[in-house]
Amino acid sequence: MPLKNKIEELKKRKEEVLQGGGEQAVAKQVAMGKLTARERIIALLDEDSFNEYDMFVEHEARDFGMDGKTLHGDGVIIGTGSIYGAPVAVFAQDFTVAGGSLGFMHARKITKIMDYALRMRIPLIGINDSGGARIQEGVNSLAGYGEIFWRNTLSSGIIPQISVILGPCAGGAVYSPALTDFVFVVDKISKMFITGPEVIKSVLGEEISQEDLGGAKVHAMITGNAHFYSESEYECFEQIKKLITFIPWNNTRKARKFEPKDPKSIYNIGDIVPGDPKQPYDVRNVIRAIADDSDFFEIQEMWAGNIVIGFGRLNGETVGFVANQPMVMAGVLDVDSSDKAARFIRYCNAFNIPLCTLVDLPGYLPGIDQEHAGVIRHGAKLLYAYSEASVPKMTVILRKAYGGGYIAMSSRHLRADFVFAWPGAEIAVMGPEGAANIIFRKEITEAENPEEMRRLKVEEYKEKFANPYVAAAKGYIDTVIEPEETRKLLLHALEVSSNKVADRPFKKHGIPPF
Amino acid sequence: MSIDKLDNKKLVAFIPGTIVDVKVKVGQQVKQGDILVILDAMKMHNRILAPINSTVKEVSVKPGDRVCKGFIMVVLE
Repeated sequence: MPLKNKIEELKKRKEEVLQGGGEQAVAKQVAMGKLTARERIIALLDEDSFNEYDMFVEHEARDFGMDGKTLHGDGVIIGTGSIYGAPVAVFAQDFTVAGGSLGFMHARKITKIMDYALRMRIPLIGINDSGGARIQEGVNSLAGYGEIFWRNTLSSGIIPQISVILGPCAGGAVYSPALTDFVFVVDKISKMFITGPEVIKSVLGEEISQEDLGGAKVHAMITGNAHFYSESEYECFEQIKKLITFIPWNNTRKARKFEPKDPKSIYNIGDIVPGDPKQPYDVRNVIRAIADDSDFFEIQEMWAGNIVIGFGRLNGETVGFVANQPMVMAGVLDVDSSDKAARFIRYCNAFNIPLCTLVDLPGYLPGIDQEHAGVIRHGAKLLYAYSEASVPKMTVILRKAYGGGYIAMSSRHLRADFVFAWPGAEIAVMGPEGAANIIFRKEITEAENPEEMRRLKVEEYKEKFANPYVAAAKGYIDTVIEPEETRKLLLHALEVSSNKVADRPFKKHGIPPF
Repeated sequence: MSIDKLDNKKLVAFIPGTIVDVKVKVGQQVKQGDILVILDAMKMHNRILAPINSTVKEVSVKPGDRVCKGFIMVVLE
């Protein structure tokens, strides 16, 4: 046969695989408001950058009538491409082929691209859209999931791993996204749960829809399993592309440096934080007043809003921002906010991203439910993450910093490299009301007018201790600064810490309280 | 079964506290972001904002009231 004919045959074979699960299945996918796996990859990656591998892989199942069936690509597409020129490895499950179910060869394609991403030290993006294990392939499916989880863990902290949930992702399958760094969900399309509504109904008799059990909003607002929420697949891809610009290819590199830009003039840093410590405000505006081009890329925006986390840039360099949010639950630390911030801090540390912490909090949230929910061990995650982090750590105390909250929020004692405080900062072991009631209990109860005495003592305490100078006198704060000086000092801090050495004793790994 | 946390028509106290101010009356139209109630808790005058454009259906607090966690302060239509 002449080569020309062989090329024709190749084209024909490719053409066949490109049909996915066929016209009917594709029509169904479209009817569900979803793009096909291939359309997703094309939309996500740079134009013409995608190269597919293992297109002609076929399943080897022989039982339950599987031997006669052709499943194109075995229900998953793998390959490499680029996003804004940065190389990435991708897999996308194809729901049109046997419901994207995970069989032995399907899993082997995924683990192949995972191995490739780790070997080449490039980010891995997994697009999940699968009915789950391919029952006909039995324990081979389970083996496949296990192999994926193992690789997720092996790659963790070496290459960025991103999971995109664009369809069902149920049962054991959800544990792969849970092991990765960032999970993206899309309203009405993403569904994640360990046991679905049918199982819940048959075992517990409780009825709930898929959407209410594990839809995008549930994971973006209630569980914290998702990091980014969007209304459409295209919006989701834009979020992923933007994330890629903020993070490095792997843990031996720094994120790409951008052209430095001044913050936008509409964010006037001196006007954002009210002088009265009881008045709330949006701390994200402080970040915008500091960050290059006022560009703040928030993570887990809809969950545990009492702490704000996300990426911005200082002088063109990616920085991870962590800030208490006074306008949500007074900015308290609790189970969820500690967990949220701690994980982000560990991400930044693993990928050489300096940390900038903005402090304004009343402390940890008191309450029976918090104590019983384990605020001790969850709160400890924050202390652990900050103490462990060896990247440059810069802290700005904007206003309140009381008690355990002061220590936890990247204090000098947890080895912050720079601690700045604004003149309105109140750094003390507890708030004036509580402190006065304890220290001056006797004077207050024995006074002729206890209320008046309490007021006087609160004032006295405020004057003496609710300021930055007690901590500054001990060197716990490096300098008290005017709000307008903040960006300049942070840029300087970043510059002088670019060769930071923070050697720690060797250990296999620590035992963080998770 | 519905999920309470996603039901943004009932405004509940996130933490126990004291009502400082009530800015709305029953029947009043509110826009997303309008202040409904100010709750003093955790050293902060927390602003409880309207999550959606709506009409106030119920107001169950007045200034000076102490509320517990989860108390429904305002219900929107």
